[in-house]
Amino acid sequence: MIFKCKNCGGNVVYEPGRGRMYCPHCESEDSEEKIQGGTLAQCVNCGAPLEVQDYTSASRCGHCGSYIVFNERVEGVYEPHLLLPFYINKKAAVEALYREFSRRLFTPADFLSAKSLEKMEGIYVPFWLYDYKACYDYTGEGVRVRTWTSGNTEYTERSYFEVIRKMELDFDRVPVDASYAMEDGIMDLMEPYDYGQLQGFDPKYMSGFYGEVYNQEASQLEDRAREKSRSAAEELMQESLHGYTTVKPLHRNLDLRGTGTRYALMPVWQYLYRYKGEVYQYHVNGQTGKVIGTTPVSMGKVLGYSASVFAVVTAVCCLAVRVLEIL
Amino acid sequence: MREYFRYFKWMYIVLGAVVALLGMLSGGHWALSRMSGHERDNQSCTTRERVFDYGDVLTEEEEEKLRKLIAKREEQTRCDIVLITLQESLKDYARSIEPGVSYDQFVRVYAEQFYEEHGFGYDRPNGDGIVLVDNWFREDDGRIYTWLCTTGRVKEKYSDAAVNHILDNVYRYVEKDPYRAYKTYINDFYHDMMGVQLFTLYVPGYVPWLVGLLSAVIFAFCNRRSKKGDKTTTALTYTGGMQPVFRIRQDRFLRKSVVSRKIQTSSGGGGGRSGGGGGGGSHGGGGHSR
Repeated sequence: MIFKCKNCGGNVVYEPGRGRMYCPHCESEDSEEKIQGGTLAQCVNCGAPLEVQDYTSASRCGHCGSYIVFNERVEGVYEPHLLLPFYINKKAAVEALYREFSRRLFTPADFLSAKSLEKMEGIYVPFWLYDYKACYDYTGEGVRVRTWTSGNTEYTERSYFEVIRKMELDFDRVPVDASYAMEDGIMDLMEPYDYGQLQGFDPKYMSGFYGEVYNQEASQLEDRAREKSRSAAEELMQESLHGYTTVKPLHRNLDLRGTGTRYALMPVWQYLYRYKGEVYQYHVNGQTGKVIGTTPVSMGKVLGYSASVFAVVTAVCCLAVRVLEIL
Repeated sequence: MREYFRYFKWMYIVLGAVVALLGMLSGGHWALSRMSGHERDNQSCTTRERVFDYGDVLTEEEEEKLRKLIAKREEQTRCDIVLITLQESLKDYARSIEPGVSYDQFVRVYAEQFYEEHGFGYDRPNGDGIVLVDNWFREDDGRIYTWLCTTGRVKEKYSDAAVNHILDNVYRYVEKDPYRAYKTYINDFYHDMMGVQLFTLYVPGYVPWLVGLLSAVIFAFCNRRSKKGDKTTTALTYTGGMQPVFRIRQDRFLRKSVVSRKIQTSSGGGGGRSGGGGGGGSHGGGGHSR
């Protein structure tokens, strides 16, 4: 399908800055008209052949530049339950990148050109969201140690306690990305998303962006969601054991009962940049603007800045020693 | 360059502040020393030498550095500061002056005689001053003795504890680095006499360079790390902000045990204090052996 402008016939896209559909050709707002049709192999607008990857659900025609949403990849079993629309536009994502890079001291001065940043793409990444009811039974032996001195004798008192906890907790929509193309570690670092802005699926939000359908079933990825939930439950349990010098666990059992799974699309700005023969990959959370990615290191800056630190700290120390000598 | 100066602004401000502080202190110190005057009252001292390395444990260069340091500290404290190293038995010499004197007192007899014979004392012969005698010779009893002899104003100022403190500091370094030990003696004496003991530790010359180098390495390491991003989720991120519910939260006391142990106290090193003395002076001080 494609969204066309009722006024000018141009391709209407979702504009995050405005929070509504927008025609970049005649600048009309909410003037979209859904045009069904087209296939994975042919552009619905111009009929040009398309090169679509295995899991692509939304793409752009290389010939006419229209953004196309593929019906068969967003319907039936592939229809997302939820979608989080892009909240920040490309301009805001670029600003977020610049802000982040300015904090990275050793990034080369000529890294990132404004022109290349235009190639940044917005992608709806498939996620599975898991719900769990957690019940954690814990028994341990806690020890409190107290030490005091009387005269020339030091006393150490150890008090032993039986520590029993039964903790219950609901986990709501624990996210796990379902895309081979996206590195798991990077997608985990993109979190959290504000679920308050999650909406029911509407394909119009995908116009103007790329998209993927889930690459794996929910059951295949559940281990990652369970591990995230287990880790959070363990952390909360440990917080409840404060006040002891040591706690030795004697029995622990965490029961995670799955109560629901939903398929959602989450917004990510992706930017690939080639610098001195190497490709650097950046991702910006399309809702919060959080930036994930590494930057190259300028050895000139490393040496120059470190030499400055060496010179100034040494000078301060020498002068401080002299000051203390006078005192 | 703008980025550079913006980033290092505070570092250079701190450097400027330390330079300013040093300038003010140096100025104040100079003014004080001018007010107190430089002139030495005792013109009867038979020698201008202060470092008598008869034991030959110092290099020429080290001796020269100590002489310069002593000249500076004498002017500041208005006390004579003398250092003597020996490598000979003092048994016959000491007992010829004080028959039956014990081994640990040989160096005391030598120090007092040496001080008086040369007429040391900043204000008058046998007046304000201090002398450290470090005899590297192992006497018949198998020990090496050191004595710190105090006279005049120094004797009044120095308690047994203060004498022991200086000798402890000297002994901390003397076997491995005699120069450092004797420099510590001179600087400790200066700090004691000037009444301000904010800084009595000896700082080797390489320490500021080492601190600078370590700072630069840590700085480079911290900023060079190629971190992708920070984890910004917490244990409560996916609980909708709800705290866990504890159906059971019980801490039941089981037992208690108490263990005691005696604290070992270390015993101090040898030392002693002498009063009086031969000739015209009255000396104080104390000794250590190793």
